[in-house]
Amino acid sequence: MNLTAREVRQLVLPLLAFVVLLVAGVSFVVWSKDKHAADAAVLAAARLERVQVKERLMRIAEEEREVREKLKVYQQLRELGILGEEQRLEWADSMKRIRGDLELPDLRYRVERQRALASVPGKPGTVDFYASMMRVDLALLHEGDLFAFLWALRASGKAYYAVRRCTVTRTGQPANVPTLAPRLRAECEIDLITIVDHGAKS
Amino acid sequence: MKRIAYFTADEHRVYAWRRGRLTLDAKFPSDDTGASAFREYLGGHRGALFSVVVDQAGEDFHEELIPYLRGSDREQVLRRRLAQRYRDTRLATALSLGQVSGERRNERLLLTSFTNTQRIAPWLDALAESEAKLAGMFSVPLLAPALAARLGVRGGRCFVVNANRAGLRQCFIDNGRLRFARLERAADMTPEAFAAFVRSETGRLAQYLSTLRVLPREGPPVHVVVIAPPGRKAVFERTLVSDARLSFVTIDQAEAARRVGIREAPQDMGAEQLYLQLAARRPPREQFARREERRGYFLWQMQRGLVAAGALAFAACALYAGAIWLDIAGIRSETTQVRADSRADQDEYRRKADAFPVTYTTVDNLRATVLEFTKIAQRSGAPEPTLRYLSQVLDQFPQIEIDSLVWQVDRASGGAGAKPPPASAATKSGPGSQVERLEVSGRVPGMARSDYRAITGEVQRFAEALGQSGVYQVERTQLPFDVTSEGTLSGDIGSTSGGEAPRFTIFLARNLP
Repeated sequence: MNLTAREVRQLVLPLLAFVVLLVAGVSFVVWSKDKHAADAAVLAAARLERVQVKERLMRIAEEEREVREKLKVYQQLRELGILGEEQRLEWADSMKRIRGDLELPDLRYRVERQRALASVPGKPGTVDFYASMMRVDLALLHEGDLFAFLWALRASGKAYYAVRRCTVTRTGQPANVPTLAPRLRAECEIDLITIVDHGAKS
Repeated sequence: MKRIAYFTADEHRVYAWRRGRLTLDAKFPSDDTGASAFREYLGGHRGALFSVVVDQAGEDFHEELIPYLRGSDREQVLRRRLAQRYRDTRLATALSLGQVSGERRNERLLLTSFTNTQRIAPWLDALAESEAKLAGMFSVPLLAPALAARLGVRGGRCFVVNANRAGLRQCFIDNGRLRFARLERAADMTPEAFAAFVRSETGRLAQYLSTLRVLPREGPPVHVVVIAPPGRKAVFERTLVSDARLSFVTIDQAEAARRVGIREAPQDMGAEQLYLQLAARRPPREQFARREERRGYFLWQMQRGLVAAGALAFAACALYAGAIWLDIAGIRSETTQVRADSRADQDEYRRKADAFPVTYTTVDNLRATVLEFTKIAQRSGAPEPTLRYLSQVLDQFPQIEIDSLVWQVDRASGGAGAKPPPASAATKSGPGSQVERLEVSGRVPGMARSDYRAITGEVQRFAEALGQSGVYQVERTQLPFDVTSEGTLSGDIGSTSGGEAPRFTIFLARNLP
């Protein structure tokens, strides 16, 4: 059936209605699908959070035991002054006091610039570890002076002292000469490690 | 709403039809004044949807054979045959009676028309002028096969007999196809007399069709479905007694109306209401109106079809979207539940965490601080234990004198400062692990320089003693005399001068955790 121009005009409005209804229907479906996807994503996130919270809750007893254990160590670190910023003046005071106490003939030291210690990747929390290397040159009457020096250094606190290297050599002073001249020299490299806890409560 | 124009010889009526309900909309005398009034009526209903049912006497039924054709060829042949048979083909049509097999394949046709179309033509012209949407134009016989089917006739030959406003209508149907029909005027009669009239007229028609050999003389009785006026079924059944030729089945008009789906009809309507209902609700394909006359109706159908298709598409989309939204409702409900569960767990966690001791920091920081510090402390060695161990071993070797010691902690793969000796199998560790090393340099001054065998033996025993603990491994021993095949061996036999005692170096190592 061939349509006349008048008949075609009569079909325009129904055709328009068809298109409008079709577009409205398809748009409704597309919008609904978008909403569905968004809500499904929200549900997935809520489920994940639920699983994490549940696991945390299940671990809390173990966590409490762990906290109690670790708290002892943490408190010791606080008391020793290892936690917190570097206290270089305190270190200098300690070195002076140790030399005096041990009556060491000669004690020279040099503390290098602070550097950050490489940490474990993915470490939780906001804690940073730093180290400053101290080079110490000691004149010793005998090897026991070195042990005493290291013991006194550790006891002075304000950092954790990790000895990296120690070289002990003879000075050439004969052993049978009855003088107080140093017979040994020791050169040591010691890391002075401090911990900065950014989440620490004042 | 659809309007049905019902044309009889005496009166023309217009019924409004809506979902099985027929109401009288207008009626007109069948003369010229009626046609004018009809025009005037249509003026108030321009573009209305119409069906026309003609119920008048003077119908012609004529059977013909044509070659078996399809498509436009068949259309042309039909038009030519109708034009040959009838002067005015406006109310003429050809009904197919099926194929005839023989030498040639033919099709049997029933040509039908009204002998006098002039009385109806002005009414049809009025409809066309009003731009009415003509759905179809039927005679009552064209609708009879559909009525027979609705009344339960399944194949075979049968008469459908009923009393219309126009008179007694008799239609002969053969295997669902119309073969013949007639309209006999019926004066006012008593029910008994009318039943007898039905009986006699049916017998006469059967006789006539037998004469024309349309109905075989012998054979089983022909079914006659008689639609009795309301409340007259019992009277008809008493009168219409079946015999060897005719088998009567009487159906009350109200029952027939129910079977064709009429819900409501004017009280004064006869059995014509059944045909009007069929013309409105289930019109047969065979009808009188030409394609050009139904053009407005086709256009209207296209308009409705487009809107209906759009509505259907929208409904399908809405249904699908509804299913999605049901799912969304489920998801949202589940999300709410999951969040509530999470909150409850978080509250419980906080309650338990509040009972923790004061930590000065967060739990994560506490854990990180202690774990990291423990690792650093484990990787940090101290020289004192190693030097004490060396001192203990030296007590067993008074002839050996130590010149220098180098103690250091470095990575297993290498260290800073002095180049470390190659790692032995005992100190091989993974990358990043720490190794504590001690380099012991000394001499054996108590032995003669020329007694290289004794000096070498003493140094080797000293090295073995250092490695016996199991904690320290002797990585390498550099003897005072190079006794390897790769080195240079030199000596000063017989010399009495003291000189400096030959030096040796022992490399010790142990892994740190």
